[in-house]
Amino acid sequence: MADLQFKALRKSFGDAEILHGIDLDIRDGEFIVFVGPSGCGKSTLLRCIAGLEEITSGEISIGGQRVNEIPPSKRGIAMVFQSYALYPHMTVAENMAFGLKLAGHSKTEIQAAVLRAAQILQIEPLLDRRPKALSGGQRQRVAIGRAIVRKPGVFLFDEPLSNLDAGLRVQMRVELARLHADLGTTMVYVTHDQVEAMTLADRIVVINQGRIEQVGAPLDLYRRPANRFVAGFIGSPKMNFLTCSLVSARDTDATVRLGDGTLVTAQVDARGLAEGTPLTLGIRPERLLPEATGGEDTARATVLVAEHLGDTVFLHIQGLEGQGQITVKAPPETPFRTDSEVHLRFPAKHCHLFGPDDRALTRLI
Amino acid sequence: MAIVIDKSQRWRIFAAHAFLIVLCAIVIFPLLMVVSISLRPGNFAAGSLIPKSISLDHWRFALGLPVTGPDGRVTQPDLPVLLWLWNSVKVATLSATVAVLLSTTAAYAFARLKFARKKAALTGLMLMQMFPTVLALVAIHSIFSRIGHAFPAIGVNSHWSLVLAYSGGIALHIWIIKGFYESIPPEIEEAATVDGATPWQAFWRVLLPMALPILMVVFLLAFIGAVNEYPVASILLHSQDRLTMAVGAKQFLYAQHYLWGDFAAAAILSGLPVSVVFILAQRWMISGLTSGANKG
Repeated sequence: MADLQFKALRKSFGDAEILHGIDLDIRDGEFIVFVGPSGCGKSTLLRCIAGLEEITSGEISIGGQRVNEIPPSKRGIAMVFQSYALYPHMTVAENMAFGLKLAGHSKTEIQAAVLRAAQILQIEPLLDRRPKALSGGQRQRVAIGRAIVRKPGVFLFDEPLSNLDAGLRVQMRVELARLHADLGTTMVYVTHDQVEAMTLADRIVVINQGRIEQVGAPLDLYRRPANRFVAGFIGSPKMNFLTCSLVSARDTDATVRLGDGTLVTAQVDARGLAEGTPLTLGIRPERLLPEATGGEDTARATVLVAEHLGDTVFLHIQGLEGQGQITVKAPPETPFRTDSEVHLRFPAKHCHLFGPDDRALTRLI
Repeated sequence: MAIVIDKSQRWRIFAAHAFLIVLCAIVIFPLLMVVSISLRPGNFAAGSLIPKSISLDHWRFALGLPVTGPDGRVTQPDLPVLLWLWNSVKVATLSATVAVLLSTTAAYAFARLKFARKKAALTGLMLMQMFPTVLALVAIHSIFSRIGHAFPAIGVNSHWSLVLAYSGGIALHIWIIKGFYESIPPEIEEAATVDGATPWQAFWRVLLPMALPILMVVFLLAFIGAVNEYPVASILLHSQDRLTMAVGAKQFLYAQHYLWGDFAAAAILSGLPVSVVFILAQRWMISGLTSGANKG
């Protein structure tokens, strides 16, 4: 059990700075997910916590103790690697016992700890096998088992599910959530998959190009993204962005004009911005309403491709003047097909507005 | 084997087999010749492959047993062949062990640690090893004769001097082991480090067991190299009871009288330790020791 703190953490490889000053407090027992595109520095940050990378400046504390100069073995952490990194010359039981053996625990103690972990992960029948006789999912369990026998203060997961197939990934995701509920230990989890982030996290840390973009509970990030990057990264399919300019701003909402002249009202506070300021309108695919007949304040466009997924239909739409492709998530009974003409309505309470600096304007709902 | 095969393939297979059989015959012929010479009475290098009569005199001589001449005179062998063989085994085992110890640790440094001028050091090692040992013979002799004044145990005419001299030639071994280490994902050692292992424990308990097959290969190479080595051994060893087989065997070949038969028997004997070590080492040269660590 331990909390984690970063103060102005920087990390450079040679001349290239990867992390540009990370400040973050992780509470004891929290499930934190670092999410971001590949190369954003999230894995490097995790390796800094583990002590596998030295930090260039700043401070890391685990459980209130500054650990900058403490080697990985003494930090009270356990890590699950993306590649599992099992010891191929040892059996499953030996793999799991390795850490305890190094720590000098007694044989009976080790045996009990290994057995308990194996029961939690349902790998008891595999204890005498070597890693090469295991499937990918079983190896992943062993890697997790190796981490939990040591009863660490903090668990570190580096994209642990990315090597599993889709079905297994969902199953392991549920088990990880279960494990966190049972153990109540602080967990730091790195992934590029925003679904894993949304489902597992108490709080998500969105990282982009070595900086924290936003920290918050999954639904807060979904509903109130701080900027355009977070808005685009959280949610699948990603949020639609349309360029527009401010027409008027009131106490309760703001009106913007799209490139084709359509007026859209958003429940966003845009007061303080001058009329004509170029803005970005953001709206999630499931909130855009496709209509067959045009009315006031709808934008006319053409369906490029309609993708039927059974429970939903994704309409990929082209044709709004000066805008990129737009995605609409429609119910399966939607009448629109490839090449249909469609009129899009933008419900005011689901519209986001982003300023010229890509920061989100405050929503008034 | 369900691939459809062209008819001309049969002729190609036949030709390939014929070629390989001829090649094998050429390779094996010298060995059979040596066996034949060692079993033939008299000391002749030439002659037919299958001896007309068999004599075990050369073998008795090599094994240090008294030989009865044609005139009924019993002669004691004057050359300690078995002692030379033992010396060879001793020096080869020691120097191969030292070579493995030094090159595994050095290769670890080159494969895993970060330090300045790593590449230059690696290339330098390789370059230096490329010069023939013969060029350094004078230097080696003078170094060990100087050392011998202070520490006679490792001076000229001691086996330790030879072990020490051979231990210098590990550049190639370092390269081989380094290449193998680099094929092992570093996450496995990182996992050990997070599990609480010191760098030495991660090396000793995780990396080395995975590298066992390549260590055996290097041990074998170093062993064979030491058994066969002639130039350095010939200048460092003087007294007859210290010689290795490679150097001692030269004594069968007097200027006016080449004892080919005795030489052949001794040569076969000297092949024994290498064969034994190979058979022992083979048990450990298993592939796939590192499989299963990753997702697979």
